[in-house]
Amino acid sequence: MNSVVCVKQVPDTESVIKIKPDGSGIITDDLKFVMNPYDEYGVEEALKLKEKFGGSATILCMGPSRVVETIRTGLAMGVDKAVQLDDPAFEGGDAFATAKALAEALKGLEYDVIFCGKQAVDDDLSQVGQILAELLGLPHVSLIQKLQVADDKKSAVVDRQVEGGIEVLKVLLPAVLTTQKGLNEPRYASLPGIMKAKKKPLDVKDLAALGLNADSVGCNGSKTMITKYTAPPERAAGKIIEGEGPQETAPKLVQLLREEAKVI
Amino acid sequence: MSNSIWVFAEAKEGKIKKVALEMISEAKKMAEKLGGDVSAVLMGQNVEPLAEQLGHYGANKVYLADHEVLKDYTTDAYSKVLTELIKENEPSIVLYGATILGKDLSPRVAARLEAGLATDCTGVGLDDGKLTVTRPMFAGKAYTDISFSGSKTNMASVRPNALPVTPPDESKKPEIIKVDVNINPDDIRTTIQEFVKTAGERADLTEAEIIVSGGRGMKGPENFQMLEELADVLGATVGASRAAVDAGWKAVSDQVGQTGKVVSPNLYIACGISGAIQHLAGMSTSKFIVAINKDSDAPIFQKADYGIVDDLFKVIPVLTEEFKKLKADS
Amino acid sequence: MNVAVYKILGIPNFILLAIAIIVALAFFINRVKHLYFILRIGKEDDRFNDIGARIMFALKRILLQLCVLKDVTAKDLAGLGHAMIFYGFLCFAFSYLFMFGRGFIPGLSFHILGDTFAGYFPLLLDIVALMVITGVVWGLLRRYVVRPSRLESTPEAAIIMGIIASLMVFHFLMEGFEVNIDPHETASMAFIGVAFAGLFNNMGIERTTQEALFIASWWIHCLLVLGFMVLIPYSKHLHLILAPFNLFFKSMEPRGALRPILDMEEAETFGVSNIEEFTWKQLLDLYTCAECGRCEINCPAHLSEKPLSPRHLIHDMKVHLLEKGPHLLGGNNGSESGTDAQAEAAESGYDGPALIGGVVSEDKIWSCVTCGSCMEQCPVCNEHVDKIVDMRRYMVLMESNFPPEIQAVFRNMENNSNPWGIGWATRADWAKDLGIKILSEDSNVDILYWVGCAGSFDERNKKISTALVNIFKKVGVNFGILGAEEKCCGDSARRIGNEYLYQMLATETIEILKGYNVKKIVTQCPHCYNTLKNEYPQFGGDFEVVHSTEFILDLIEKGKLKLSKPIDKTITYHDSCYLGRYNTVYDAPRKILQAIPGVNLVEMERNRAKSICCGAGGGRMWMEEHLGKRINEMRLQDALDINPNLISTACPYCLTMFEDAIKEKDVQETLTGKDIIELTEEAMA
Repeated sequence: MNSVVCVKQVPDTESVIKIKPDGSGIITDDLKFVMNPYDEYGVEEALKLKEKFGGSATILCMGPSRVVETIRTGLAMGVDKAVQLDDPAFEGGDAFATAKALAEALKGLEYDVIFCGKQAVDDDLSQVGQILAELLGLPHVSLIQKLQVADDKKSAVVDRQVEGGIEVLKVLLPAVLTTQKGLNEPRYASLPGIMKAKKKPLDVKDLAALGLNADSVGCNGSKTMITKYTAPPERAAGKIIEGEGPQETAPKLVQLLREEAKVI
Repeated sequence: MSNSIWVFAEAKEGKIKKVALEMISEAKKMAEKLGGDVSAVLMGQNVEPLAEQLGHYGANKVYLADHEVLKDYTTDAYSKVLTELIKENEPSIVLYGATILGKDLSPRVAARLEAGLATDCTGVGLDDGKLTVTRPMFAGKAYTDISFSGSKTNMASVRPNALPVTPPDESKKPEIIKVDVNINPDDIRTTIQEFVKTAGERADLTEAEIIVSGGRGMKGPENFQMLEELADVLGATVGASRAAVDAGWKAVSDQVGQTGKVVSPNLYIACGISGAIQHLAGMSTSKFIVAINKDSDAPIFQKADYGIVDDLFKVIPVLTEEFKKLKADS
Repeated sequence: MNVAVYKILGIPNFILLAIAIIVALAFFINRVKHLYFILRIGKEDDRFNDIGARIMFALKRILLQLCVLKDVTAKDLAGLGHAMIFYGFLCFAFSYLFMFGRGFIPGLSFHILGDTFAGYFPLLLDIVALMVITGVVWGLLRRYVVRPSRLESTPEAAIIMGIIASLMVFHFLMEGFEVNIDPHETASMAFIGVAFAGLFNNMGIERTTQEALFIASWWIHCLLVLGFMVLIPYSKHLHLILAPFNLFFKSMEPRGALRPILDMEEAETFGVSNIEEFTWKQLLDLYTCAECGRCEINCPAHLSEKPLSPRHLIHDMKVHLLEKGPHLLGGNNGSESGTDAQAEAAESGYDGPALIGGVVSEDKIWSCVTCGSCMEQCPVCNEHVDKIVDMRRYMVLMESNFPPEIQAVFRNMENNSNPWGIGWATRADWAKDLGIKILSEDSNVDILYWVGCAGSFDERNKKISTALVNIFKKVGVNFGILGAEEKCCGDSARRIGNEYLYQMLATETIEILKGYNVKKIVTQCPHCYNTLKNEYPQFGGDFEVVHSTEFILDLIEKGKLKLSKPIDKTITYHDSCYLGRYNTVYDAPRKILQAIPGVNLVEMERNRAKSICCGAGGGRMWMEEHLGKRINEMRLQDALDINPNLISTACPYCLTMFEDAIKEKDVQETLTGKDIIELTEEAMA
């Protein structure tokens, strides 16, 4: 059973996001980068499959040299090897352009399952897994919370979170599965794991190695473009709702939640 | 290529999702500027009766794909039907609701058509006749304006509740275009084996959209019934602070906080919770926080978007009634 | 009477005695050798530095009996009893030189040391013997009638007590007979001997019979002493021999400094999962334990009914060591290192319980709050906490095996440098409007104020940080903070066993501090204080570190800070473990309170070195307390017993734990918690 986990390096979710004064991007200097939390579920699941069926787990990660730290995190957890896609041409790509490069890299890898996080917590797109499946001609199931691979490894039964319940699906393998919270509890790498990770193979591939054209990836290969970044409207300081007793305050609260917060 | 704006109208349990009506309302305005029309795509089994309603909100045409194989959503069937329709008609814009279904389907269709797609948009507009959208990133810590290039059709999924619904005009009837559905069952690579309903039951804390949580101020286990009632009305899940769990009023699995569950619902209602840092560490990423506590110095008010300083035993029953009224109205 | 040549079955006594001594010594040496070889399985540890200080320390603790006298209380006088037995034992040990000597040297007596000595020493011996008998009877009563929790009523204790009592009885018998048969040998001042002599005469015992009975008493006495000697290394009385060594080899490092793992990049295993992976000194601790239970009755985990008892921990490991040790030694007498020994154990077929999970349950390992009370109270200076941390290190670093709620804490420290995982860039937000120098902007400061995670992120403790800033400003201290560059000091990570994470945090911080050429640091939190002061030097971070209470007291004593606004309250002070026991800062907080007009300072029964942990130390702050009673509520009860209006603390963890307990017990109407810093600010003119 071979799995490939597509991993993205993202700023930690607690990061303070500062936008460049001209709105052309965010300031990345002070950001602490980590593995996308949803991708960790994929790594953990890949390791579980490996423990149960044997085979290998591979990380596929696109990004500049700083992503090596994130790749090592996965290797420390127990992933066997990693492929890093590093080329300036990959930069600035949207989900489509990114998936295109990933798909190309995947053609050179062996897999029965490809895991992607259900979304990356930086761009919050929730697209790459599905597009990847399409480009590779594979089925996909998004938002999985449970995975049982059949003994013949030709299919799997997954629990998938949908509105109002859990859908239990059978999917033919190979397939792309996007992982949701609840699938598992990602392990904490042991220290020997961390040490071993430093010696595990990391295959760095650039545009030429993938045999792709610079026009089909990165910014040039993208179908969407971010034209401007803006800060969200300043969240008003907490409001204490004034009023004479619950008969006044409760309706006010309901109204605010409905009209201002729009959460009801 | 046409100047047509399409809306994928998701239907569930014999009802059109509200987000579809929101998108049609918006699409109508855009179509006026663009000089085009609005079409809705409706898929499912026995969904024809729903088509007319789409017209009331502004859909000029409804592409109706009504077939047994579309009864339950499968990526392969839905994407095949939709992709073929789009290929044939070449609308300039396709909008989806940013629902679980919409977010599963739209990237698949976009990829097959090599079209641009923006997810979870909070605003859609036109710039020089082309689609532009606004969408949050970094869990809402930044917003981005997006433009599209390089494809005939541009696509976006739109967040529910982000766009206003215009009042329906029941005199408007849409043109209904029935779509032939040619799907070989072997093309569908996933089969639904079972659907486990959790509606009625509570969602898990970590996945809940709304959480009503009680702390030491609840005074005793019996009072949590009050929170259960509030949660019932809101479709929320009930959580508890460490103090309440330690006191044995709630199970350990209900604990929110540093050593319990880390949650980030859209709405977190903290009742009788002072807001010790260990609790805040487990819920401060909630999108909106409401605090009800009689101690105005409680640290929870520092984190809350809305606070009521009052006796929770008086506030909560009234609040529950108010929410009931609201739900009944909508 | 010439004992040496007295013949039994035609063989002179000196030959028989020589045989008896040789046999006893053979048993004794054989056992000691066995113990020694097992000890040598342990890993290396250099405990030979500073020999002079080591000798002085050991002598002082033993000769003055400080080891047991330091904690004698009206409720527990056992230390007094031990001192009596100890001095008695010294006297008798001296007298035994003569007793055995007489078996070889005819005519040997106390007279060779002068007549005065020969006159008074037997009197002393009689008095001591009476005291010892009293001590034994008392000890037996305690063990078998009173039964305090810390003592166990084992057969071993009864046998030892029996032997000691018999020794005394035979001393009197010998003396009594000798007074009658050899009056010049024994001074008449030995009043009990004389009394016995009179009794024997009154009973009409013949002189020859008395001679025979004397020889018999002498023999039994000698054999009892030899037997006792053999018994020592087989029993908990091994401490008679080993306590001096254990005291000599005591760690000379600051108590608050855990031993670092130095070769992190190279090592293959981390921490301890096999008994032989402890150092020889840690194994010596196991041998030396006298099972007195002082650790146990002061252990917050034990007192709150958790599975951990430091005494049982040590004892169980000792039993395990003696079981597994011989397997490790195999045929040869143990010269191999840890991993070889391990392989050896596997080959030799040791199939007993594993150390972690078997000998010591995981629950015990996680129950420890590392408060250090066990080490503080231990008469032989055993080092318990580092053993527990060594086992935690194995569990955490090798197996990622820890309470599930800890994973988030580690991640949070890694990604945001604080245990709550709040965005690191917001660390200095509390100080935004206070106009404080941030070192990255202006590093020209006299004092670096180390705020700590609680002081930076926790609403309650932010108030304390602000109060300290107000004090600094009032006095005109030129200070600054690191702002967003400050990180968690790593105390919890280290004590939970994640040495890797700790070293990452520590080395990064040390670099930053050195970069700003920081000389003096004031910390708000005792955990930061201990870590920066005692543990950072291990990684090249040598800074002058003072705790806020020490700093404030210094300001008061120099007249720079006047506390003139009265606080009319009855206040008790709770000693933080890492300020008190680990760093002996007991007085500063109390003196500050006393400097505030109106304060009525009252002490809880358990205070200073005997203070009980709030329950949050050793990383327990971040773990759920599933077992036993809540430590913070137990400690709150100590305060409630003396009815103060306010509990003062000098530690953010303690304050949090108390405030939780106060709310839990619903006593907030009558009792509040405050930090000494807040009280200082309130009382400032």
